[in-house]
Amino acid sequence: MTKMKTTRRTVLRGAAAASALIAAPGIVRAQSDAIRVGSLNPLTGVGGAYGPSMRNAIAGVVDAVNGAEGLLGRQIALTSEDTQTNPEAAVRAARKLIDVDGVSAIMGTWASSVTTAVAPLCWESRTMLFCVSGADSITLLPHQGFIARTQPNSKLQIRVAGDFMIGEGGTKLAWIGPQTPFAQSSIDILGEIAAANGASMESLIYEADKTSYRSEVDDILRGDPDFIMLGGYAADSTIVLRDLFQAGYENAIIGPAYAVNQGVLESLPANVTEGVYTWEGSPAVDSGAYARVQAILGVEDVDPYSAQTYDHASLAILAMGAAGADSGDAIRENLRSISQGDGEAVDNAVDGLAVLTGGGSVNYTGASGPCDFNEVGDITGTQFVFKRITGGNAEQFKRV
Amino acid sequence: MLDLLPQLLVNGIVSGTLLAIPAIGFTAIYAVLRFPNFSVASHATIGAFAGYVANVQFGLPAVVALGFAFAVAGLVGLITDEMVLRPLRPHGALTAAIASIALTVVLENIVRFIFGNDIRGYDLPIVRDWRVWEVRIGPQQVENLALAVAIMAAVFAFLTFTRLGKAMRAVADNPALADIKGVNALQIGRLTAFIGMGLVGVGGMLLGLGTAIDPLTGFRFILSIFAATVVGGLGSIPGAVLGAMVVGIGEELSLIVLEPTYKSAVGFIAIVLVLTLRPRGLLGERAY
Repeated sequence: MTKMKTTRRTVLRGAAAASALIAAPGIVRAQSDAIRVGSLNPLTGVGGAYGPSMRNAIAGVVDAVNGAEGLLGRQIALTSEDTQTNPEAAVRAARKLIDVDGVSAIMGTWASSVTTAVAPLCWESRTMLFCVSGADSITLLPHQGFIARTQPNSKLQIRVAGDFMIGEGGTKLAWIGPQTPFAQSSIDILGEIAAANGASMESLIYEADKTSYRSEVDDILRGDPDFIMLGGYAADSTIVLRDLFQAGYENAIIGPAYAVNQGVLESLPANVTEGVYTWEGSPAVDSGAYARVQAILGVEDVDPYSAQTYDHASLAILAMGAAGADSGDAIRENLRSISQGDGEAVDNAVDGLAVLTGGGSVNYTGASGPCDFNEVGDITGTQFVFKRITGGNAEQFKRV
Repeated sequence: MLDLLPQLLVNGIVSGTLLAIPAIGFTAIYAVLRFPNFSVASHATIGAFAGYVANVQFGLPAVVALGFAFAVAGLVGLITDEMVLRPLRPHGALTAAIASIALTVVLENIVRFIFGNDIRGYDLPIVRDWRVWEVRIGPQQVENLALAVAIMAAVFAFLTFTRLGKAMRAVADNPALADIKGVNALQIGRLTAFIGMGLVGVGGMLLGLGTAIDPLTGFRFILSIFAATVVGGLGSIPGAVLGAMVVGIGEELSLIVLEPTYKSAVGFIAIVLVLTLRPRGLLGERAY
């Protein structure tokens, strides 16, 4: 039999282990006291250019509330996960946030395919999901009120851009983009606008993640379009813009600002992107909330998604504050009471919580806009800004 | 759509030629080290970014930057093979193949950590394509095509005429016999990892010259590389070139009968057909 030898070292190890055992319940208790919320952003993948600042905007709100008096007398613990802009990875991350971390809200899903994949997990577990995805189908899911979207839906986005294309003289419209949840609805809406205005319409859905779209571009150019709408993300739009230029196309192009973003403009020579239009839902640049996001991120121009995730965190915290509870149900049931109505206008969670604690009601107006929601969870009002690329820079062209 | 046939053929030949370079690297590694090294995806990305640093940050011409892409991707390939994959090879090809998938995720994220997620372009002018009759082809495509053909010729010359090239072929053909004849299989394995991944890196950069690069650059053509090598015959270098042309042209011509959304299906269909009808591939000498 092996004889156990007592040395000073083993005694010290034992003492350390014993003190850890004694302290453990306290540590667990401190963690369990916190109100848990989750961010689920595209930190990597094609949305990776936006995810980090989206997450930082959420963390900024949480830090501000924790630095004041907390929420319901408790601290808020933020757990951040990466969607990898990939539905499978996002589902795994959401499962972890819901089952392991026990969050009451998941904030900031970006790609429509990701939000669509994660949504059933959220409503089944009664967790509130805030997203910035545009596909119309998302808020048509049977989500029982557990989805709130701060991004204008794709129907509204395409309608606004389609009207712009017609207004700028487009008579032969074309849409080219990858297979996404909003591809077919975008084509249908643009087709309706073209038909209503006597214009023709061609479309082509290509496969995402290919290295060249030369043949697809040749195909769409057979219809001799005079205004092409890009329907993809940044990586594939870079290739399509390049292929369109090389194919000799000289007419107008418009793409969503997330697809023709600063990274794309820097990666392509200015002559390739000259005259290309972009459009996006515009953040409320003159609002107090926008200034707070600028301060959190330390940037002058806040992208619309970070403005929206700032609002996600503020809305979730205020809804829990109004409910006096920290569940997904509490957020769902109080979301509209703190975001619209006759309450005192506030633009941040700390001020809003102070009003709520004093027995008042609030109407939160955020960095992305008024943040008023309809019955299915879509925002009801937003502005759009159109920009035109000149010399490699996006310059404001029109606001609607 | 048939009116586009000549254009689709040209597009297919160009993409097949670009695909051939990394396919040669992949199949050479398979022939000598006897496992499919799926970390070619991240090595193509590493090569593309190494070339980007040389071209954009050091201001070197693209052709010189290709040498940089070869050296960096080759070195990373050699180091990762020594540290990660070689210790696992005695446990079987499947173990090493699975480890290579994990390795590619790690390497891709290291690239992401260093360079971020943004899309980047090389310091090259983009000009309108030339039109010959109704077929268009870009000056950059022609240059890439010429570079790819020159690199392939150099690889074949190396394998045919040099002592090291012959030793590589000997180890690929019969490691035991090569050992008896005094060929150091370990050193040849290292050389193969370096040259194979170097070629993959060059392929990544050539691809980026015609498009743009980001940390997912290599991931986008891993299926096509794998399909090309299986179609041509795993372990056969001429087969890799032929397979790349079949897959490259096949993907483009598929647009005549298929929706563009099913382009990648061509690679899968080619793999299924070859494994069913001719498991050793078009030019392979044995089925693995």
